[in-house]
Amino acid sequence: MKLKLIPKNEQELSKLFVLIFPLTLLLSSLLTFLKDSYFTFANLLPNNQVFNYGFLDRVSTKASFGLVFATIICLTFAYLFSKSLGRVAVLFPLLFLTLLGFIGTEFLDIILSFFYQDNLNITGSISIVILLKILVAFGLFGLASLNLLAKKETTIFASAQFIYGAVVFYFLSLLIARSELIVFTDSLLITSLYTSTHIYVAISFIYLAIIHFLMTKPIDATLFSKTLSSITFWGFLFLLPWTSYKYYFGSVLPNWLENVSIYLSLSLIIPLLAFAVNYVKTTQTREIDMNKSANLMNFSVILFLITNVLHIVSSFENLLPLVGLTNFQNVISHGYFGSLVLASVSLSYYLIPKLFGRSVKYSLLENLIFGGFKLTYLFLLVNNFLIGVNSGYSWNAAANAGSPAIYGEGFNIVWNLVGINYSANTFISLLFLGVSTLFFISIIRSISSGDITTVEEMVFSNE
Amino acid sequence: MSELVNKVAEILNAPIDLVQRSAEARAAASGKSVDEVLSSWAGGESIESTAPVEETPVEETPVEETPVEETPVEETPVEETPVEEVVQEVVEELVDLKNESSLAFISGVLSIAVFTFVFAFLIPKNQSIRIVDSSLNNTISVSADVIKGAEIYSELNCQSCHTQNVRTLIPDTQNGKVLSNKYANKALIKNIGNIRLGPDLSTNSLREPTNNAQWLGRYLTDSSSVNREIPHPNYEFLDDRDLDYLVTYLLSLGEPNE
Repeated sequence: MKLKLIPKNEQELSKLFVLIFPLTLLLSSLLTFLKDSYFTFANLLPNNQVFNYGFLDRVSTKASFGLVFATIICLTFAYLFSKSLGRVAVLFPLLFLTLLGFIGTEFLDIILSFFYQDNLNITGSISIVILLKILVAFGLFGLASLNLLAKKETTIFASAQFIYGAVVFYFLSLLIARSELIVFTDSLLITSLYTSTHIYVAISFIYLAIIHFLMTKPIDATLFSKTLSSITFWGFLFLLPWTSYKYYFGSVLPNWLENVSIYLSLSLIIPLLAFAVNYVKTTQTREIDMNKSANLMNFSVILFLITNVLHIVSSFENLLPLVGLTNFQNVISHGYFGSLVLASVSLSYYLIPKLFGRSVKYSLLENLIFGGFKLTYLFLLVNNFLIGVNSGYSWNAAANAGSPAIYGEGFNIVWNLVGINYSANTFISLLFLGVSTLFFISIIRSISSGDITTVEEMVFSNE
Repeated sequence: MSELVNKVAEILNAPIDLVQRSAEARAAASGKSVDEVLSSWAGGESIESTAPVEETPVEETPVEETPVEETPVEETPVEETPVEEVVQEVVEELVDLKNESSLAFISGVLSIAVFTFVFAFLIPKNQSIRIVDSSLNNTISVSADVIKGAEIYSELNCQSCHTQNVRTLIPDTQNGKVLSNKYANKALIKNIGNIRLGPDLSTNSLREPTNNAQWLGRYLTDSSSVNREIPHPNYEFLDDRDLDYLVTYLLSLGEPNE
């Protein structure tokens, strides 16, 4: 296995991210496990600022939605973007440095959280790290635009479209996170729009970029309809940023904003159907049978569809008081993120022979990994759904029962309903940690000891 | 003319409407009628172009779905020279039509991003500020100790479980007034929270026993001594001064501001 310190092209650079991805996933799953086990094992842990639920929650969020996401963006950008445009990336050395900076700033954010809690923890919006992130994201946006303008292909392939959309909205999310807070409502506005641009749009668009690649080339299928993929792209791009406000229904947000959010969330059905039809019809034209890695891609699509359906169903006005301000919002975020992780795992196995020249054997280890990932995300979604609905119901029905002057009187009812789900979360996180460890081992094993095969040749140039 | 169009479409293995538009463009460029163009494509003589094809307005027509690259030109049943030439011309035109503009795509994405930023963020933000500005009692005075406590609350990430967000919905009204026009220091208003796992703290100081500083101090450092059933993090690593700031902040929550 050769890994050059300074890669010369996108394929060499992609190798680096294929290796980093399992590592970041391992770190993220470890921190998530520490966080989720807090309620179960708090008495066994040393009582300090690090082993504290609030801190672990913050740092695990940064690891998942920050570091893992950044790694996957870099992987897709390095491998898919220029490939989709039919040419070597413009200003490649600069792109290489920008992508490293992208991961570097997210990693720095996590490390600094341990040492400078006092200065950095005020949601990070006034920290120097976010300024660095904005700088790097702007660089990536500029490079993405330049590469698009210099495309060789007559069409812009769907993957490149989705990656570009993700980069633009990731950049927008950073600008929003840094906005000035003046009045009470600003906090809700910033949190909502940051969530919808960063998680709903950027994460799901990187996911869709990967899927539009995986559902065609690896299984030798032809994209059923470019029009449907355009509807998916423009539909989600326009609708998703608005969909988070609805969870604050009845709050101090302007009423028109809450209503618009509800109606636009319901409209998500259009791009969702376009994507579903396109996926099914495209995969039907495949020339190669799906292997186990491709089956994981299928599962990721099911997860993505379920997430969106829940997102749409929760828009009904009589359900919103129940699911708003509860863990239900985490179901949506983890649904999008989980789909991305599963698709990226599938992409990693596809890339190993192409980039490293080593074939992947789908042995018992890989079977365990694929099954484990599927179970992890299925349980995670179901469990958080139950926590969300149960806590929402009990808050509405019973949490404030009795004298309003007595604080938290009904909270015992809430905890009795959801306490067991929090214990279950600990074991789901343990499963996730185990599967991530096996995934890391499997990737290293495949790269180092897989049978030698032909490395993919770059077929495009700048000429 | 429709028969001609159908025939040409069959020969070229291209959609009828696309052939129609291409013929119209070619007719406009060559100064001949559409029928003449179609006749020539169907097997007659070729039409010479007198104007550059790029100038025709047809280029803007979105026809991405046409699988032009896969057009089996070699398989067309008419092997004669004029038709081959014409087929080549039309294929070139179709490729021109299919060539998506990166600039248009980038502009589209950026337009939606700007639209989102303006309509989903700037306008409601300014609207909220105007509402607060126009209200009579739009400020609250907070001491330095309360701000310090709010910062500690934020550093400990208490808002990951607690909200301070009373909604206008009936179940929430028991929590207290909706603080719709609260005007406060930045450090205070970041603690609003999104997930109501623990109790909502917006009216903390108006309820018992959380309106008691001693009870709060004990609960925050050793929660199990107060309630063993509900897990709550212990903050015994906080020094006395920081704990006091935090308690002061919690006791400040719940002052009506309508």
